[in-house]
Amino acid sequence: MGVVHGEEMVLNIGPQHPATHGVLRLQVRTDGEVVSQITPYMGYLHRCFEKHSENVTYEQVIPFTDRCDYLSSMSMNFGYVVAMERLMEIKVNDRVEHIRVVMAELQRIASHLLCTGVFGLDLGAFTPFLWALRDRERILDLFELTCGARLLYNYMWVGGLSHDIPVGFVESTFEFLDYFEPKVDELENILAHNKILVERSADIGVMPKDVAISYGVTGPNLRASGVKWDLRKNDPYSIYDRFEFDVPIGEGQKGTVGDCWDRFYVRIIEIRESVKIIRQALASMPKEGDVHQSLPKKIRPPKGSVYARTETPRGDLGYYIESDGSPIPYRVKMRSPAFTALSVLDEIGAGWLLSDVLAILGSLDIVLGEIDR
Amino acid sequence: MTSDQERLIAEFVEKGLAGDMDSINAIEDRALRGKVKSALVKAKRSGAVAKESKEDTKIPEKENQQDKQAEQSIDEKIKKMIEEQFPDTLIENSDSDHIQIKPEKWYDIANWLKSDSSLLFDSLQCQMGIDIGDDMLESRYNLHSMELDHYIEVRIAVHRSNPKIPSVEQIWRIADWFERETYDMLGIEYTGHRDLRRILLPDDWEGWPLRKDYQVQETYHGIVVPKMKEGWE
Repeated sequence: MGVVHGEEMVLNIGPQHPATHGVLRLQVRTDGEVVSQITPYMGYLHRCFEKHSENVTYEQVIPFTDRCDYLSSMSMNFGYVVAMERLMEIKVNDRVEHIRVVMAELQRIASHLLCTGVFGLDLGAFTPFLWALRDRERILDLFELTCGARLLYNYMWVGGLSHDIPVGFVESTFEFLDYFEPKVDELENILAHNKILVERSADIGVMPKDVAISYGVTGPNLRASGVKWDLRKNDPYSIYDRFEFDVPIGEGQKGTVGDCWDRFYVRIIEIRESVKIIRQALASMPKEGDVHQSLPKKIRPPKGSVYARTETPRGDLGYYIESDGSPIPYRVKMRSPAFTALSVLDEIGAGWLLSDVLAILGSLDIVLGEIDR
Repeated sequence: MTSDQERLIAEFVEKGLAGDMDSINAIEDRALRGKVKSALVKAKRSGAVAKESKEDTKIPEKENQQDKQAEQSIDEKIKKMIEEQFPDTLIENSDSDHIQIKPEKWYDIANWLKSDSSLLFDSLQCQMGIDIGDDMLESRYNLHSMELDHYIEVRIAVHRSNPKIPSVEQIWRIADWFERETYDMLGIEYTGHRDLRRILLPDDWEGWPLRKDYQVQETYHGIVVPKMKEGWE
């Protein structure tokens, strides 16, 4: 007896659909409610980042990086300046490094809060989303205090920072962390062990290790599949080797290793680890130090190329910068973590119900600005 | 799920546990393949928890064995090995930070880089295309081994008149989208790619934007394409 197929249907999800987290179109082939193929179409938010970069000076690229991943702009700045400083062999002072780490980790918390909140929203839980945004708001206030902007900072410069942190920043950050730590438990209690969320996400969209590595999936998504890989530990940049923190991996607590629940839960634990790092960085931050000390008079890197990677909230962000010795970059390539995360969707999403596909997409935590660039 | 399908899945899971992943990968029906793979992971998880924890502790030992010295000479080592196994493909270059090869045997070399037990480049970190002038386009691959923790960069240059490089999307699956992007931006054709379409730009966009001689088209479907502005307004 042959296989009996129902009537197949091709559906478009998006480009304007809240569950696609931006302007993304998913063309799904469905057999009843079961999805057999997912074809993502993107480019709706393509702003020619790489082409623009070839027409502006090195320092003018930084605001563009902000706009790529608008939910973790600090980390995008960080990646670019790390690459540039490696290319130009600039060493910045300790105070700058500490401030950068604090900012990057605050950004990681903000980004993970949004991701976990929205993941709940995707699965029908509205309250945790508001809780997450409430706490994220306080982080954005801290950023506003520092550089005046809430989303797109242009804060990290090649060889330094745009401003030193204001008076009282350290105290307000400690105050925030004291307030925030119990809230993480609250968020975990309402979401992670909620029966509805567990039923909707455990055992769904399992991503095995080898698939994740082959598809270049990185960051929390890779760690959820049980691979202990974090650039902050494995290939430390900046001063991450001075801090103590754990790298959480997916353990299949509610189902299989690498399912949606693991991807979601790894982020919750990472929030706690980031809090640890911020506390250490603030405590050991040198009081003295000019943030403009190592700013080069003119950014004119020597001929050559560099590929530098940093760990953003979404995974390995790589910048490949080719310099021909002029003040304008010859080529800037951004290897975006969300781009690779989205490419795995068809592999792990096919075979699940339509509603599960949206849960899987939510758990991958994509940002379309970074995919389309 | 029918009982027929369940039996089929159970069969494949058994095969997979015995180490025969090929037959699973060969399953035509994508939905079924997904189900089999997730069932396999579950089976492995429940059956081999003890075994896995042992494996986890092994990995750092391996890393310790790999000295920093070995990492520095990995480029030279691979160059030598390529010379032996794939004669006449290596292009000598003075820079020691990358490996320059000819395009013809790239697929075989990539396959070997991934599977050779002393290299194990299982992850393609980044693939990018660049217009290097003199009518040459270049495709660059940043490879990394998760297990042995070493990196190399491979560069393949082709002439603009016939920009063809073998595709490696079946070796590292992420190359699928990376190569589509490079094709989109620079017009390098990856032969053997199963789905080489534009990825970020519209399908009917003309020209290859990241080539240095690219001219912005005047209009696109009657919409005026804004030109790059000179200076500030």
